Amino acid sequence: MKVELYNTLSRRSVLKGAVAASALGAAGSVGLPVRIASAAEDVRAQILAIPGVGKGQPTDADWQKVGALCLEPTKANVKEGEFKGVELSFMGLNNQNVHNVLFRGLSKAWADYTGATINWIDLAQADYNARLQQAIATGTVDFDVIEMGAPFEGDVCGKGLASEMPDWVKTQIDMDDYVGYLKAPVGTWEGKTYRISCDGDCHNFNYRSDVFADAGLAEEWKKAGGEGDWGVPKTWQQVNAYTKFLKGKQLNGQDLYGYLDPCKGWGGFAFYFLGSRATAYAKHPDDKAWLFDADTMKPRVNNPAWVRAIQDVLDSLPFEPADQLNADPGTTGFQQFLAGTGTMLSWWGDIGSNVKTNDSSVIGDVTAFDILPGSDDVYNAGTGAWDKLASGPNYAPNMAYIGWGIYVMARVDSDPVKQKAAWSLAAHLGGKDISLWMAAYPSGFQPYRNSHFNVAEWTAAGYDEAFIKSYLDSEANSYNHPNAAIEPRIPGIFQYYSVAEDELAKIYAGQMSAQDGANAIAAAWEKITDQIGRDNQIKLYKASLGM
Amino acid sequence: MPRALSKTLIYAALIVWTLIALFPIFWTFSTTFKVAKDVQLGHIIPWIQYQPGWLGLRATGLSPDTIFNPSTPREEFIKRFVNSIQASVGASILALILGSLAAYGLSRFQYRWKIWKNSDISFFFLSQLILPPVVLAMPFLVLYKELALLDSMVGLILVYTLSVLPIVIWIMRDQFDSIPPELEQAALVDGCSSWGAFLRIVVPIALPGMVAAFIISVVLCWNEYFFAALLTSTSAKTLPAMVASQTGSQGINWWSMAALSSAAILPLIVIGIIFERYIVKGLTAGAGK
Amino acid sequence: MSTKASGMTTGVTASGRDPVTGYVSDERRRMGAWLIRLSTLALAALILMQSLHAAGMISFGFTNWQPVLIAYTLWGAALCAGNVMRDGEAGWRALFVLPAILFTIALVIFPTIFGFVIAFSDWNLQSVTGRRFNGLDNLRQLWADPYFWNALGNMVFYVLSVLVQYVIAFGLALLLNQDIRARKFFRVAFLLPFMLSPVAVGWMIGKSMLEYRFGPVTRLLRTLGWDEPTLLTTPWLAKTTIAAMDAWVWIPFMMILILAGLQALPKEVQEAAKVDGATGWQGFWQVTFPLMLPVSITTIVLRIIFQLKLADIVITTTSGGPGGATDTVSSFIFREYKDRSNVGYGTMIAEVYLILIIVFVALLLWGTNRFMQRHRY
Repeated sequence: MKVELYNTLSRRSVLKGAVAASALGAAGSVGLPVRIASAAEDVRAQILAIPGVGKGQPTDADWQKVGALCLEPTKANVKEGEFKGVELSFMGLNNQNVHNVLFRGLSKAWADYTGATINWIDLAQADYNARLQQAIATGTVDFDVIEMGAPFEGDVCGKGLASEMPDWVKTQIDMDDYVGYLKAPVGTWEGKTYRISCDGDCHNFNYRSDVFADAGLAEEWKKAGGEGDWGVPKTWQQVNAYTKFLKGKQLNGQDLYGYLDPCKGWGGFAFYFLGSRATAYAKHPDDKAWLFDADTMKPRVNNPAWVRAIQDVLDSLPFEPADQLNADPGTTGFQQFLAGTGTMLSWWGDIGSNVKTNDSSVIGDVTAFDILPGSDDVYNAGTGAWDKLASGPNYAPNMAYIGWGIYVMARVDSDPVKQKAAWSLAAHLGGKDISLWMAAYPSGFQPYRNSHFNVAEWTAAGYDEAFIKSYLDSEANSYNHPNAAIEPRIPGIFQYYSVAEDELAKIYAGQMSAQDGANAIAAAWEKITDQIGRDNQIKLYKASLGM
Repeated sequence: MPRALSKTLIYAALIVWTLIALFPIFWTFSTTFKVAKDVQLGHIIPWIQYQPGWLGLRATGLSPDTIFNPSTPREEFIKRFVNSIQASVGASILALILGSLAAYGLSRFQYRWKIWKNSDISFFFLSQLILPPVVLAMPFLVLYKELALLDSMVGLILVYTLSVLPIVIWIMRDQFDSIPPELEQAALVDGCSSWGAFLRIVVPIALPGMVAAFIISVVLCWNEYFFAALLTSTSAKTLPAMVASQTGSQGINWWSMAALSSAAILPLIVIGIIFERYIVKGLTAGAGK
Repeated sequence: MSTKASGMTTGVTASGRDPVTGYVSDERRRMGAWLIRLSTLALAALILMQSLHAAGMISFGFTNWQPVLIAYTLWGAALCAGNVMRDGEAGWRALFVLPAILFTIALVIFPTIFGFVIAFSDWNLQSVTGRRFNGLDNLRQLWADPYFWNALGNMVFYVLSVLVQYVIAFGLALLLNQDIRARKFFRVAFLLPFMLSPVAVGWMIGKSMLEYRFGPVTRLLRTLGWDEPTLLTTPWLAKTTIAAMDAWVWIPFMMILILAGLQALPKEVQEAAKVDGATGWQGFWQVTFPLMLPVSITTIVLRIIFQLKLADIVITTTSGGPGGATDTVSSFIFREYKDRSNVGYGTMIAEVYLILIIVFVALLLWGTNRFMQRHRY
């Protein structure tokens, strides 16, 4: 290669090291594009090093540092002290030192720079939906910015309560960087954009790599006449078989269990876990709909695919821990799996980002990730028969909850300064670099941008390469999967889930058969659809599926 | 049975119940100083089974290493703490005043308005106690929105007063019923008005009972969660909602929840210790004659 | 409002003033009456104006109803003053009870009426059509709702458990009534459970202490020989556990009331019984217990009222499970109301429940009236 080119390249690597070692301010003064690129990477490297992987859970001071380091995009659009005197109200979750509390730390530098003050409305997760609905129904919208899940877009954006995103925000946050399924139509309503994504949500499959690589267990599996080789399960059929096998076995003196099913309600969120079991059966590659029939909103929850999933749970329950009936998703994730009980689990990506950085975790080194298991056959709602796909098992990752986002309410539109302030705050929290930090550390948020999947950055921060590659791959492959099962963004979606949870509790407790229970759920869902307005629901369901 | 044996049994029973009553509270306090591992493994005795650490207090900004630094959870905690005090004490005082007056009236006089008699008025107040608050969620939200009382300390105090007023009236009526009317009659014969007799003679006697009602009201308001979560957002928010939000999709932070719960119960314990003698003495005058 | 003093003599006093009717001049009486009439008119006019403004019919008015609230307060004061002026001493007596009544009515009247309106409407907060009157449909739905009847059945269990709590509380009160050292310590210690917030109780005890693998309670049970102490997974065990947790919080409340009653008992009666040769046990049953009946009954009634509102612990610990075994009516209402935003139906359940409780409590009080000579219900 040309000498000049080589010198440039080697100078670049020397400079990279130098810039990394020095403060950010010095790098900004030099004009070479090479330096600025390094500076940007440098910010990302710097923030990923706070407090460092394996150094315990981040504290308030860490968040403030990260927020300060990520202020550059804001500075480009906002002058110092420009929002002096502006008061913003931010409503979000206050789940134990993440979400809103995290936002407080991250936004402190923003507030100091711009002169705005932020009032925080914190809600416990259980209160969130009700509070939002009540605020909308009684017209007591007392917040300017809200951290909201995509499923609620129908309620908020559809009623004209959200402010449309200005173009300067779109550039600042670089919306092209979002993964495929988070781009439009998600986040938009009738062509207008409202959402700053800060989270991607899908269920992935978490499993104990030590268990499935263990030679002793492989032998016992063979002896027990198990089908196929012992290894990481790829289909639900395998998961169910392994669950039955693992009960009673031990590894390193610890009792083993197979798959963990949450059986207790969790404000509607527990339904997603049944969904994760069912999508492989119910989501056919040729059919966009999987929860309801698109033309009539007739529920599919009692079709053979879903009933089979419920039956799977019923069959597995005797082989799961004895108190499983009282386990909600929080229990299965954090009190069971992270604490070493159970070897297979579906959950949001929080498990992955907590395995090494959360104080509760004892399985940091032996966890691996994959997309949700598939199924050997898939149910065809059109023909009413089970199909075996030519391409092999059917995979259908569950895009559960789609993801949190930050929205600005329309009530700021009357005041241009306030509007700019609100969007600036939202853009700061939804920024490209800051989101990398939030994806890597316990925050309540999962990776959602293509730029999050740069394995090199994570390893530089201290993540083990094999671990992080497995985790990121499971996420990326789920997000970009052609047969992903995306949740409908229709009004009242959580009401359906909540009513289903009630019936499922009865089914799991053995009071009803799987089919009878599923029929009860379907009947309850029909009632809700009628109550909310069937025609409207059909229209919105189709729109959310992109049909 | 011999005195010594019965004494031993009495003390034994007392100690058993003390363990039952205090262990969960001790558990809460000690969990404040645990890390996740200790919680998962269920260690109980500090220093012997686990090393106490500052994680719980650090998460709320109250540990020795963070107490002098700015900390958003701590500011949050202090703000809510102060709000809780204002709401509880304010509501209890207001309820005490309104309730004692009403109780005295219901005890001494026989009212009649159209068809409503004393017993109906008493039952009217009692029925406020029966209603589960969740029923009133939407109506109160709308009412407070129209009255512009949402997220205001005044609004919260009014709601809390409403919820403890029946208890105050019930307790104080017992009190006044047991104070013989002859005392006031002597004063009335001397030309005192009913208010004068009340303020100068009855109140001093019933004061311990008022303290008892006050304390029970404070405890009930302090721990009230439902209306606090519904009607407040930023300026009037109270502690119970903060304790409840120590959990969510990231699992449960036992240490910070324990820290907050311990902090929440400490003022009540202090009140309990200081006023304990009044509670029993106060209700004594009223009951079971 | 007219008042009549009970147990008070009428007749002229030393200072020449009849304490009952007082001496009120005609002029003063007229002024008082006019004060009441005028202030009532002013308030009514203000309410009318504000209503018209809110309905959009006139443009003059305030942005919210807060001035009406303030006006109401002023009207209340005027009413009280007017009463005193008009009725003299009787007015003063009414003044004792008027503030509490006016206060309660102000805060309760609108929610009660609106609550009833909502109960008879089909209102799903996320529905397109908003609130719709639907007659008795909610009632019919309630009648056919298995969850409601299940929860109601559970309430029977919970209410019966109050008797067990009563026995324990009585026992504790008896213990504390003995001549023991460190009485103050024990009294404070026993009072503490009542002070722990229900949220903390649900989490710290329900989820942490009863945790299947490592909770201290389950560990204790294992050492006592119970292999799989799944306290919250089997229906009856779960019900008992929830009842036990609630009992832990509320026994101090009952205990204190009973203890106060015990301490107020005249010692002479018990001494007399002992002199007559009664043993401790007989003395208790024949003397102490009957004397304590009024206190016991009021304690139980109060406790039942609170027990019937049980919701927080259930929601936090079991979400009504397993399979609805621990569900209470309040926690069911909670789910309908909050999780499903089914506000109309939820309110109807609550109103029906309210009526059921009122009937139940009224029956209870009426039935035990003869034991409670003092209480006039």
